[in-house]
This record gives sequence, C-alpha cells and structure tokens, in this order.
Amino acid sequence: MESILFLACVEADGSLAKAAREALSAAKNLAAGLGGAPLVVGLIGAEVQSAANALAACGAARFLGVAGAEFAPSRYTTDTAAATALAKAAGATIVVAPASSRTNRCLAGAAQRLGGRVDSHATSIAAAADGKISLTRWYYRQRMEGVLTRTARPWVVLLESGCAPAYAGVPGTTTVEAVAVELPALRTTVTGVRAPASDAQTIRPDAKLLFVAGAGWTKKQADGQVHATEAEQLILGFLASAKASLGSTKSLVDLSGEGQAVLKFMSHLNQVGQTGSTPRHPKGLATCCHGEEPHTVGWRFINERRAINLNAACSWAQGKADVLYVADAFDVMRKVNALLSSG
Amino acid sequence: MTQDSVSESPVVDRQSMAVDIVCVGFGPATAGFLTALSKKLVNPDGTPIAESAAMPGMPPQVIAYERADDVGFGVSGVVTPARSIKAAFPGLDPAQIPMAAPVKTEKVAYLLDPVGASRRSLALRTADGVLKLFKGKHHAIELPWIPPFLAKHDGLVLSMGQFMQWVGGQVMGSGTVQVWPSMPVAGALVEDNKVVGIRLVDQGVEKNGAATGAFMPGMDIRAALTVIGDGPVGAVGQQLDRELGLPKDHHVHDWAVGMKFVIDLPESCTLEPGTVLHTFGYPEPEIFGFLYVHPGRIASLGIFVPSWFDSPVRTAYRYLQHWMLHPWIWRHIEGGTLRSWGAKTLQESGRRGEPHLVGDGFARIGEGSGSTNVLTGSGVDEAWATGTLLAEAVTELLKQGKPFTRENLESTYVARRRASWVDAEGRVAERARDGFQRGVVTGLIGMGLAGLTGGRLRAPGKPMPPHKRLPTIEAFYRGRISAEEIAKIRAECLAKGTPLHLALMDRAGWPAIPLDGKLLVSHQDALLMGGKVQAPGGYADHVVFPFPAICATCDQRTCVEVCSGQAIAHGPDGVPVFDREKCIHCGACLWNCARERPDGSGRTVLEFRAGSGGLHSAEN
Amino acid sequence: MPSVFHIVVCGSIVPDPLQTLEPITTPTGPALKNELMLPAVLDPWAWHALFEAANLAKNNPGSKVWLVALGPKAKLQQVMMSVAQKAPFELVVIDGPASGFTESAEVASELAAAITSIAGLDKTKLLLFGGWESASRGAGTTLPMVGERLGITDQFQGVDQISVQPDGSFEVLERIEGGKHQVSTCAGAPALLGWATGNLPEPPNNPQVGMANMRTLMPALQKAKPAKVTNTGLAYASVALPKQRRETRIVKDMPADEIAQEIVAWIRAD
Ligand SMILES: Cc1cc2nc3c(=O)[nH]c(=O)nc-3n(C[C@H](O)[C@H](O)[C@H](O)COP(=O)(O)OP(=O)(O)OC[C@H]3O[C@@H](n4cnc5c(N)ncnc54)[C@H](O)[C@@H]3O)c2cc1C
Ligand SMILES: Cc1cc2nc3c(=O)[nH]c(=O)nc-3n(C[C@H](O)[C@H](O)[C@H](O)COP(=O)(O)OP(=O)(O)OC[C@H]3O[C@@H](n4cnc5c(N)ncnc54)[C@H](O)[C@@H]3O)c2cc1C
Ligand code: SF4
Ligand code: SF4
Repeated sequence: MESILFLACVEADGSLAKAAREALSAAKNLAAGLGGAPLVVGLIGAEVQSAANALAACGAARFLGVAGAEFAPSRYTTDTAAATALAKAAGATIVVAPASSRTNRCLAGAAQRLGGRVDSHATSIAAAADGKISLTRWYYRQRMEGVLTRTARPWVVLLESGCAPAYAGVPGTTTVEAVAVELPALRTTVTGVRAPASDAQTIRPDAKLLFVAGAGWTKKQADGQVHATEAEQLILGFLASAKASLGSTKSLVDLSGEGQAVLKFMSHLNQVGQTGSTPRHPKGLATCCHGEEPHTVGWRFINERRAINLNAACSWAQGKADVLYVADAFDVMRKVNALLSSG
Repeated sequence: MTQDSVSESPVVDRQSMAVDIVCVGFGPATAGFLTALSKKLVNPDGTPIAESAAMPGMPPQVIAYERADDVGFGVSGVVTPARSIKAAFPGLDPAQIPMAAPVKTEKVAYLLDPVGASRRSLALRTADGVLKLFKGKHHAIELPWIPPFLAKHDGLVLSMGQFMQWVGGQVMGSGTVQVWPSMPVAGALVEDNKVVGIRLVDQGVEKNGAATGAFMPGMDIRAALTVIGDGPVGAVGQQLDRELGLPKDHHVHDWAVGMKFVIDLPESCTLEPGTVLHTFGYPEPEIFGFLYVHPGRIASLGIFVPSWFDSPVRTAYRYLQHWMLHPWIWRHIEGGTLRSWGAKTLQESGRRGEPHLVGDGFARIGEGSGSTNVLTGSGVDEAWATGTLLAEAVTELLKQGKPFTRENLESTYVARRRASWVDAEGRVAERARDGFQRGVVTGLIGMGLAGLTGGRLRAPGKPMPPHKRLPTIEAFYRGRISAEEIAKIRAECLAKGTPLHLALMDRAGWPAIPLDGKLLVSHQDALLMGGKVQAPGGYADHVVFPFPAICATCDQRTCVEVCSGQAIAHGPDGVPVFDREKCIHCGACLWNCARERPDGSGRTVLEFRAGSGGLHSAEN
Repeated sequence: MPSVFHIVVCGSIVPDPLQTLEPITTPTGPALKNELMLPAVLDPWAWHALFEAANLAKNNPGSKVWLVALGPKAKLQQVMMSVAQKAPFELVVIDGPASGFTESAEVASELAAAITSIAGLDKTKLLLFGGWESASRGAGTTLPMVGERLGITDQFQGVDQISVQPDGSFEVLERIEGGKHQVSTCAGAPALLGWATGNLPEPPNNPQVGMANMRTLMPALQKAKPAKVTNTGLAYASVALPKQRRETRIVKDMPADEIAQEIVAWIRAD
C-alpha cells in the first residue's frame, strides 16, 4: 500500500502558494486513484499552523510540521533535513511537492538521504485502474514528453505549476504534529533578495495572454522607414490594456547588441524559444515574427496561438498557429489598442 | 613580432606558439594527410621517427585548425570511388561509418522540362520534342548505360559530415596529431618569401574588426611546414594565389555552387541504399542534379549551379526546389522530410586551376590545389589522395632530417603528384573541359544524346572569369521580361530589401513552390531546420565590401541574388549588407561578384575572408 | 590572501541546440534517434560553470579545476576539442550514456565515485560545480545527489554569481521566482553550486590552453572506466514528440478593422 506525503514550504506570510495548492490536488487525486491511500500533509516554515488550518478539510490523515526560525529561509541544509524528517515521520512511499526554486533545490538531496528516487518538473502524476502510477515530464528542453513508472520508493515528485486545479477547500483547524529535526552547524546565511537592475515588469507569468514581438517591429516598413517609436507605443499600450506578458524572439533581443533600432524595454529575459524561456499561458499572439522552429519550441505550452505577419508563407502558416492573419501588425495593433481602450 | 602579410593593424600584444607542422582546414585532403601521417610518425617500436624541432624531446607536433565549429560540418555529395580512402583503411567496413553504403545501382537521366519555364535553346526544345515522343516517362530519358568516367560501381555513398566525424575520431584517437575546430586561420605568415606559419583570426572583436573589451589578437602559429587544405575558397589559398600568382596558363575561372538536402525518404520509397542517380537538363540545361541513397531510408540530393550558367539571378535554393519537384525525382521523395541542408562552392577548373603546389615552408593539398575532377564529378577521393601523397613526402623528409624547402618538397611531394592517378586523370579532365564548356551534352555525355541535340546547347568559348561573362538582368531576360517590367520589379524588391530572383522566376513562368513545412520549406526554414546555422559572437564579418562606390553602381547585385544563406541583402546607398548569423560559408559570393576592382588585379570587389560559424549539421 | 579551491565541474554533452531530435525505443529504453551521429556540445549550463570555475581558479592562485564527464567516449573526445580551447582543466571521463533518459541517481553515484578517486583532491577545499539543470534530462537532480554522496550540505542552485571574500567565505546569488536573486553567504568550501548563466562571457578559444589541456585529455579518455547505468526500477511507458501540426486558418485580405475585432473578441473570451 502506498502512503502519500504532500510536502510544501509555507510562504513568509504563513500562507500556501497557488502551486502548493495545485500539488495538493494532485496528491489527493493520486491517493483517491490508489483506492484511498493514506495522505499526510507535511509543512515546513517559520510557522505552519495557519497553512495547516487552511488545508483542514483536505482529507489528510495527519498533519506534520517542521517549524522554527531556522526553517523560515529557503536554504538547502535546513530544508533537506526537514523534508527528510517529514518523509520518514510520514512513512511516505510517495512524496508530492510543488516545484519552486526552494523545493527544487532541496528535494533531490532529500531523496538521496531517503534512499529513494526523484522526478522534477513533472506535469502529471496519476494512478491507472490497475494501480500503476505513471508520471509525465518533458525531456530535451520541452521537446519530447515521457511517461514513466518506478518501482523504487520513496518516490519524490516535484509537480510544475499550472498542471492541476488549485485546492480550494474550506479552512478549519487541525492539530499539527511537530517533527523534530537535528541540524548540523549552519554555514549558510540567507541575507536577502536582490531584484535585477533591468526591470522585468513586462514579464507577467500569470497573464492570460503572451504577446510575442518579433524583429519585424524594428524593420523597414512599406514606406521604407523604421517606426521603432510607434512600435514601442503600440506594444506597451497593448500590454497595459490587455494585461499581457511580453515575449520576444531571439532576433529582436539580439538586435539591441548591434546598435540597431530597438525596443528599449526588451531584454534577454523576454526571449521565448529553445534558447529562451518556455512560458505557460492560455493564449499567445505573435506579431512580426516568423514562427521558425527553434522559436516555436517556446510556444509549446501556449494553448491557443494566433499570429500576425505580412507574409502568407511565413512558418506560422505551417501548422504552428491556429490562426494566421496576413496583415500589417502596425495597422492591426493600432486598431486593437483602440478597441481595448474604448472598453 | 613578425613582419608578415596578414597584419594590417598596428602591432599588438600578439602571442606566438611553435609547432612542427600546421594544417589549415580539416576537409578530406587534410584528413587523408593526417590519417597517413599519424600512422607514420612513430616507428613500430613506438619511438618517434624524428624529434620535434619546436619542442625538443617530443615527437613532431602536428596541428590542424578547422574554421567550422566542429569537424563534421562540411558539405559534399558524396558518392566516391573511394580508392584512396580504402587504401588508407584496409578492410574498411562501411557499416562502421554512419550513413555509408556501397554503391549498388547507378542511373543517369536527362530531364525534360515539365513546366515550360526552363531557359532552353531552340535546338534543345526541338530535341526535347523528339525525345518526348518516344521515351518521355516521368518527363525524363534514362541513359541506357553509365558513361565509364562517371561510374562509381566499386565506390561508396557517404555523408561528408559523418565520414569526417569518423575520421576525426580515428586521427585524434591516435594521439599523435591534433585537430582543433572553431579556429579560422586568417592567413599565412610570409617572411622573405617563405611561409613560416599561420595567423589565427582575432577574437573579441566587433563586426568591423574593432577590438572590444574581450579582444584576443589571433595567435601566430609558427611551423616548419604549413599544409594548406582549406578547400576551394579558403582564405589562405586565396592569399597565396594573390601573392604568388598562378603557374603560366593556369586559371580558376570555373566554379559551381552545390546545394543539397539530406532527407528522410517516405515509407513508400523503394530506392535501395547505394542507389546513385544523376540528372542533367533541368531546371536549366546547365544544372546538374544528384540523389544518393544512404542506409536507413535517408537520401542526399542536390544540384550544382555552375558559373557558366550565365544568369545574374542564379539562385540555387529555388532551383533546387524545382528540381526536387521534377516528376522523375519527386516520385521517390514526395512525402519525405528535410533533415539537413547545406551548400558549398566547387572549384571546377580542376587541374587547369592548379596553383603553385609547394614553396619554401608550404604545400597545398585538396581541391584548392586543383585536385577535383570535374569530368568524373569526383573531389573527395582526389583530395584525400593528395593528402596521402604529402604525408609520404613529409615522412621521407622528416626521416632524412631535410628541411621543408621548395626543392625538397618538389622532389618528394610534387614528384609523387605528377606520377599519381590524380594527375593523370586530372589531365584527361582538363582536356575534356573545353568540350564541356561548349555544351552540356557534348561535354558530359559524349555520344548518346549529343547526336540528338546537335551539341548546340552552348556556344564554344574560352573560359572567362564569371564576372566577365555575366550579362545584365535585362539582357538575360530579353524577349521574356521587358526592361520596364524588370525596372518595376527591381524598384519593388529594393524597397523591401529582398533579392529579385523570386519575383523574376515567378514572372518567367516558374510555378510557386507548394511549401509544406516538411520537405518544401522556405529558405529561412532550411537554414534553421536543415543547416542549423549559427555564428558565435566576437568575430569580425568575413564577407566585406571594400569598394562601396563600385557596389553602388552595380545593377546586377549578383552577390545578393546568389547568396545561399540569404545573408547578403540590399543595403542603404546601394551597398549590400552582410548578416554573419546566416552565412553558411559556401563561398558563392566570392566568385559571383559582378565587378572587378580598379587595381588591375582581376579580383572582384567582394572579399571573402576566414570567418567562424556557419552550418551546424553533421549530415551533409 | 586568496583562497585555494579545488573545483570539480560535473558536465557532460548534449545535442547541439538546433538539432532535430526524435525519440526511439531501444531494448534498454528510450533514446534519441541517431544519437551518436548528432553533433554535440558541452551542456550549456555546465559550460558556464566551467568558465566560472576557470575564472575563480585564475583569481585564486593555487586553485585547480577538474572536469568530470560521464558520456560516450568517442563523442566526448570530439567535443573536448572545442571545450579544451576555452579553459584549463584536467579531464576525468566515465564512459557511458549521456542520454536524458538515464536515472539521475545512478549517474550521481558514478560521478561521486569518480570524484572520490581523483588523486590529490582535497575535500575541504572542494567546490563542486555543475550546470543547474541539463539540456537533456532538464531535472536538476543529479548534482544535489552527488553533493549528498560527498557529504556537502551547503548547496546552491540556479547560481548566477559567486563573490569570494578574503577569508574564503563567499556570497552566492541564486535565481528565484519573479526574475529575482536570493542572496546567501556561505562560510566557505566545501560547497556545491549548480550554475545558471552567470555573468561571464564565453572565453575566446586559446590554442595554448588547448595544447596544455591536450596532455591530460587523451590519457583521460584512454583511461575512462565504463559506467554502470542501468535505470534499475525505472520504466518508460512512452516517449513522444508533441503533436506539432495544427490546422492553421490563414486569414488573407481581411481589413485590419475586422482582424482587430476578431482578436479583441478572442482575447476577451474565456
Ligand atoms: C542556436 C539558436 C537558437 C535559437 N533560439 C531561439 C530562441 O530561443 N528564440 C527565438 O525567438 N529564436 C531563436 N533562434 C532564432 C530563430 O530561429 C529566428 O532566427 C528568430 O526567431 C527570428 O526572429 P523574428 O521572427 O523576430 O525575425 P525575422 O526572421 O526577421 O522575421 C521578421 C518577421 O516580421 C514580419 N514583419 C515585418 N513587418 C511586419 C509588419 N508590419 N506586420 C507583420 N509582420 C511583419 C516579416 O514578414 C518577418 O516574418 C535561435 C537560433 C539559433 C541559431
Ligand atoms: C554539394 C557538393 C556535392 C559534391 N559531391 C561530390 C561527390 O559526390 N563526390 C565527390 O568525390 N566529391 C563531391 N564534391 C566535391 C568534394 O566535396 C570536394 O572536392 C572535397 O570536399 C574537397 O576536399 P578538400 O579537403 O580539398 O576541401 P574542403 O572539403 O573544402 O575542406 C576544406 C576545409 O577547410 C576549412 N577551411 C577553409 N578555410 C579555412 C580557414 N581559413 N581556416 C581554417 N579552416 C578553413 C573548411 O571549413 C573545410 O572544412 C561535392 C561538393 C559539393 C559542394
Ligand atoms: S559585391 Fe559585387 S555583385 Fe555585389 S553589389 Fe558589389 S559589385 Fe555588385
Ligand atoms: S554570404 Fe555566406 S552564405 Fe552567402 S554566398 Fe557568401 S558565403 Fe555563401
């Protein structure tokens, strides 16, 4: 019989992040799929009671917690020790945790201490009718999807965000069993958080829409002129009214290094694609970009895709977009912005 | 610091390193050289045959620098008799080399024009009409026999990339020689008429060559012998030809660009591994095509667009797609998928383009030394053989402790070349060359079809440099597209910064290519999906336009039209602009420039230097 | 007083980024079609780790860099000819698959064993470097497990910067959510740093560095021990390319006004 531990680190304000509540749904679902395998909640943080209370109705058999000032910061030494202790206390065969920079750092080490195995960046974990548990994750930079099963236990799973509905049960009160952790002398101190100089405000991971700008915005247009200033206005105007996140092609961000007309707010952090990021958004609108393969790899997790390009033979036409508008993006976006701002 | 021919800039803090033998380029020629040499550098008892002069106490230090980012990024056909390769690897089992297969069947076909857009002479049209009557299946006439000079029946079908990776592994594994990729050689160091080594390109520079914070001046590699195997358009070969001139009556006027795809054949394809198909006659009478089948349902296929096809808009990419769509080819490949793409120049003057093979401190091997045999369509075997001959000569000199002077290299290497089959067959090809110039059919196929077309495909003529042959666009399309219309197309294309060839070919009746995103893809997609073209930062542009005023008055802009990578575009003030990130180093722009520089050197105004980056496909 | 570090960089090879990849099933599990034919590069984040290691070693005289790679020997040999021109290091090779489908725990065990047997390695000076995640498995799980096996409990992932203090302690910047960095200080070696891109530009190719590395490169390749990577207890039900082709509706000749209306309606729809 499997025994499942849902493991999460509590936020500084004592709450649980959305990704954590999603992982809890996945863990519950897995427990149910295994014919009602016991589910234990394990929490790590400065204070874990309020988070546990929020999950009171989740159906967990036990609530375990590792709490204290040492466990407030995201730190390998303390987190790994805590996660290991919780998994042991829970007698877990499967540990489901939300992926975050904090859990990603500590849980592989914890799996090693537990003598188990770990899978990170999972996009699903579920049990089939025969009780066999399979896990899905991507390989080679999101280029192929693998489905795997394991016999080794404990099996530690880090689930990506956006892959399960967030748990939304009514809060209540629960008793958290404190789990003791023996810590070595701490050699690492977390001193703070630093935001990069270039502001990344155009990147909004939770936006419904990803707007991708291509190099075409800075190219000569039909009148033989470059219209970089208008391009900036159109793009920023759209981002503001549609609350979209901004992505860019490699060509466009590379241009900035070459003294060409550039969009000032673009940085390499915006680059989407095989050597850029692979953002997840329900919708994506590509403008003035060509839809070539290494770039479109970055669109893998955009569900609905539309593109505006002057060229009917551009690569979006070849089965990569749902709709390709053969049109001047300047014209269209001018009108789109007008419509959006008029309500 | 040395006084040399490659430094134009003031003296900088340039490092220098000494080795015994330095090689430029790692193509089949250098591979042949290093394969043979690595086996000869040690005696059977494990002791070196000579002591290194550069590093006393060590065996001779032999290094090759290759421009491309890896050893498998070259481009070729390849079907080869592989005589010299088999001699270098006795008992060679082709199954050891990915994509290699013994040649099984060979066919040569004359392709008729199924779309009616090809620029065929009246004579050829008449002949085509006759041919169609009795044997026009799939719009092609298969020759009943393979001309003996074309036959490769004991040979191999290879992938240049896979073969070179394999050979690279063998020679480096020997531990006696080193091959360093991603290291372009800027030029030879020449002192007192002696080549004393090479200089590598500068790194950490802007596109225009200006130093950045990460500047690292190209290092000087000094060596007793410099082996130049940098192929048809290599910067070092070009430099020596400029500085030493060519032997009397020799010239390098004939070129071609070969462009190819490697594809996964469709399930329905019945062609067996080792199948070799050659075509001529379509999409233009001057364009040759090839299709070679590798194991695993993979084929290499492509075309050659020669410099004697006098079109100023001779773009290979669009022609390659029309060739693929020819029914005789398409029936085999329809439903296939593009795996790889590439293009490269061939030096087609062969033996007649042979430069000074040796001098004090240097020897030339491979295609840049005039080894390629245009008559037999073979360059790999020949290039490899010249490398082997040089290895024998070098071993002899090393053993005897003799220096690499012109005389010593003449009596060892050149003597061996003169006595070789490469030279003998090269002379046959050299003689055949003029007939070849006179007509596609006469020259290549001899008897069979020649009778049918009267050999009138092309007027006889002495080989001229390409820029002297190039007609204007208006002249080329006379009678088909009016000058006014060309002016209109030119104005439209210039405004958009695009080449003219697509618009002109459309207008000349070539049907649109039905792009499918899989096999028939846009040129840009071929670069990325097929060629995987990339260019590391920190290197200078290697295609430069040092005479902007002349470019501004050039109305052919052949450089823009032919560019295999769409890396040259119309720029401001009529001077083309170059985009290093798209260049595949095919070298076609070098010989396709339409204007000569005013200094009487006979050189054109486009400069093609040593540069980094390019194709990242190891299957071509 | 500069500190002396013994920096071990774990890194193997991955297919050159633009290659077309296709999974196949073999008797031993999934693999890439024509894997050994594809050109390969050093795993990009490990590549950055190597530059950082070389830089750190240069600034802290007496320090030394090893590159420990588990990968197919022949392919490693080829890739090393590019890598070895960039930075001085001593190579340690374990001959085995570099596939993304191998079990990270088993790979970690092989790497840890290889590191333990490096002669002259002082574990109290050890900085274990590597890529944060590979471009093949993309998991970020191998390095922490190597660290655990070597008893390193100060670990950092997604590192973009290390600043060493005169007393040998250092400050580390790790990538966290929202495009920010978490700042930590660590008392000093031993520690583990899984690198992201860092701040260093790619060093130029230096022929002298290449020549120097060459002395240990070929012997290391010849000495390479075969790896035991069997994926025990791991089974793949499937590995597949995503369905790439969509039915693209191509809208031509529609006035910009109408396109805009369509787009706005689409954006607003749920
Ligand atoms: C190793 C490697 C990795 C790469 N990784 C990435 C990556 O991660 N991400 C990435 O994006 N790219 C990547 N690329 C590059 C990528 O393949 C393309 O080169 C790039 O995406 C092209 O960018 P683009 O479409 O903006 O520019 P272009 O190809 O220049 O296309 C501009 C487009 O704008 C259109 N256009 C111009 N004006 C208008 C107008 N008024 N209205 C509508 N359309 C207009 C044109 O028709 C054209 O299609 C990579 C390349 C390499 C070699
Ligand atoms: C499309 C095509 C099809 C062909 N088909 C066939 C065929 O079927 N059979 C056949 O036998 N032959 C064929 N050939 C010809 C054959 O490929 C060449 O003759 C042969 O490759 C010549 O070998 P090489 O070593 O002399 O030169 P190359 O193969 O040209 O090698 C030269 C090397 O030097 C490098 N280099 C150049 N400049 C520098 C520099 N400055 N610094 C460092 N490195 C440099 C280049 O990158 C290259 O790797 C074909 C050629 C093409 C283009
Ligand atoms: S480089 Fe040559 S072909 Fe190109 S524009 Fe200048 S003169 Fe004309
Ligand atoms: S610019 Fe590059 S790709 Fe274009 S023709 Fe010249 S060498 Fe070939």
